[in-house]
Amino acid sequence: MISIKELNYFYNVKKLGKRQALASLNLNIAPNTFFTLTGPNGSGKSTLFSILSGLSQPNEGQIAINGLDIVSQQSKIRRLMGVVFQNPALDKHLTLAENFQIHGDLYGMEPNLLKNRLAEDLVWTGLSDRLGELVGTLSGGMARRVELVKALLHRPKILLMDEPTNGLDPGGRRDFLDMVDKLRHEREMTILMTSHIFAEAERADKVGILHKGSLLAVGSPQELKNRLGKEMVVIQTADRQHAEFLKEQLAKNHHLKVWAREGELRVEGVDKNTLDDLLSHHRDRFNELAIKRPTLEDLFIHITQDRKV
Amino acid sequence: MFRGIISMAKRELVRFFRQGHRVVGSIAQPIIFWLFLGSGFGASFQAPGLAGVTYTEYFFPGILLMVVLFSGIFSTITVIEDRNQGLLQGILVAPVHRMAIVFGKVIGAMVIGLLQAFLLMLTIPFLGIEPGIGGVLMLVLGLVIAALGFTALGFLIAWNMESTSGFHAIMSVFLLPLWMLSGAMFPMAQAPAWLEWIMFLNPVSHALLLIRMPLYHPASELLGSSQYLQAFIVALLWAVGCLLLALYRVNRTQQSA
Repeated sequence: MISIKELNYFYNVKKLGKRQALASLNLNIAPNTFFTLTGPNGSGKSTLFSILSGLSQPNEGQIAINGLDIVSQQSKIRRLMGVVFQNPALDKHLTLAENFQIHGDLYGMEPNLLKNRLAEDLVWTGLSDRLGELVGTLSGGMARRVELVKALLHRPKILLMDEPTNGLDPGGRRDFLDMVDKLRHEREMTILMTSHIFAEAERADKVGILHKGSLLAVGSPQELKNRLGKEMVVIQTADRQHAEFLKEQLAKNHHLKVWAREGELRVEGVDKNTLDDLLSHHRDRFNELAIKRPTLEDLFIHITQDRKV
Repeated sequence: MFRGIISMAKRELVRFFRQGHRVVGSIAQPIIFWLFLGSGFGASFQAPGLAGVTYTEYFFPGILLMVVLFSGIFSTITVIEDRNQGLLQGILVAPVHRMAIVFGKVIGAMVIGLLQAFLLMLTIPFLGIEPGIGGVLMLVLGLVIAALGFTALGFLIAWNMESTSGFHAIMSVFLLPLWMLSGAMFPMAQAPAWLEWIMFLNPVSHALLLIRMPLYHPASELLGSSQYLQAFIVALLWAVGCLLLALYRVNRTQQSA
């Protein structure tokens, strides 16, 4: 269980003074939940990750992990947590086995226990035959797997992952997320992953959307997407002028809520009459019109546009 | 914590021996310095009270000191690399006491420096010096203290630096002058009065005495020498002080980071 109450975090920017990275954040993550915290770059995900992993301390607020206070009981919390960083915390001059050995020593694992767990974990991650290889020779995707195995060796109750697919190609990203899926089904642990890729959050049990240090929405991916209705229309126009014109027409004639970003329009609650109107009278003003199911990214745009108004 | 320290120290050694260029560089550099500077300054070297001592011989303790200095610097510079590559964060989130990071790094770097110094000590018979077993042991003690001081100091500086280029700048304007003004390159007695004072206040000068004196005096004589004992106390205070500061700094990171 991760419980965050009224968390505030500031950092000092030279000559500019204090900047708030997290503002009055409240969040509860139930045990054995796969929770993804998503939001654009600079939204505060990594700051929250840094606080949860014990690398930074909150300025205000309380955080409890499995009932333990993150400030006063940090050494106990560290034993409960496995951490996967944005850049793998691996020594590229050492072999996989040597990296795992150091991790085992730092976590006080007996050699036999380490050996048994490695034997188990290397099989399901497909790394069994690579123990003697230098980490520096591994591909990015493979290094991520090694990092994941390392983070799991001491059998943490909570797994923290900060943008773990960062820098991976689409295949590597899919493989890594498949492994996380497998992990959550086979082992009892709470997983908290951050990602700026909204599509990655769709796999989670629960998603939190963070923007400018504030938590805008929390819920299951489906619950969150349902806020936008079953379907929406996305219209791609050639330029901003056409987009503005269509936005005005849809709002004035059809009383619809439209979100415009550059030359793209997103419209909720479009009916057949509106579609007919668009296709018969304004076809020359857009290049593409698609009816699609809302995504978490749509929800993010929806919420953040509303906040601007 | 003990296993964590051993593990971290072992990592330093494995990394060192796995990087061939580091091994070659760390062995070749002091030998090149010693031979070239020793030969170049040899003809013009004259110092009061050092009649019959060639510059190559005079410079030898300074080269031993340089070996442990450079080893300390290049091993602790990896603190910055570790942080930039994310490796340090991985260690900081582990349930091991922060002291293990300092001790592991310092012990690993000290062992590397001492191994290089031992290699160079094989040339002692060719210099015509016969320090004896006791002298050699006292020399090793001096090297251990100097290595501890330089490594802990290097760690302390590296912990507060964000870039390796910044560390190199500090090395050029602070660490190398500490070595140059230790009496490694020229005797204190030859320096102008103001420089002599700076050299006397430099703790590294005292560490150098712990390396130079055992080459010429038996252990029993050293233990009765007030000059040696004074150098021993100052150098030990410097080394332990640097280590305590490094431990304090890292521990403070644990509390505030």
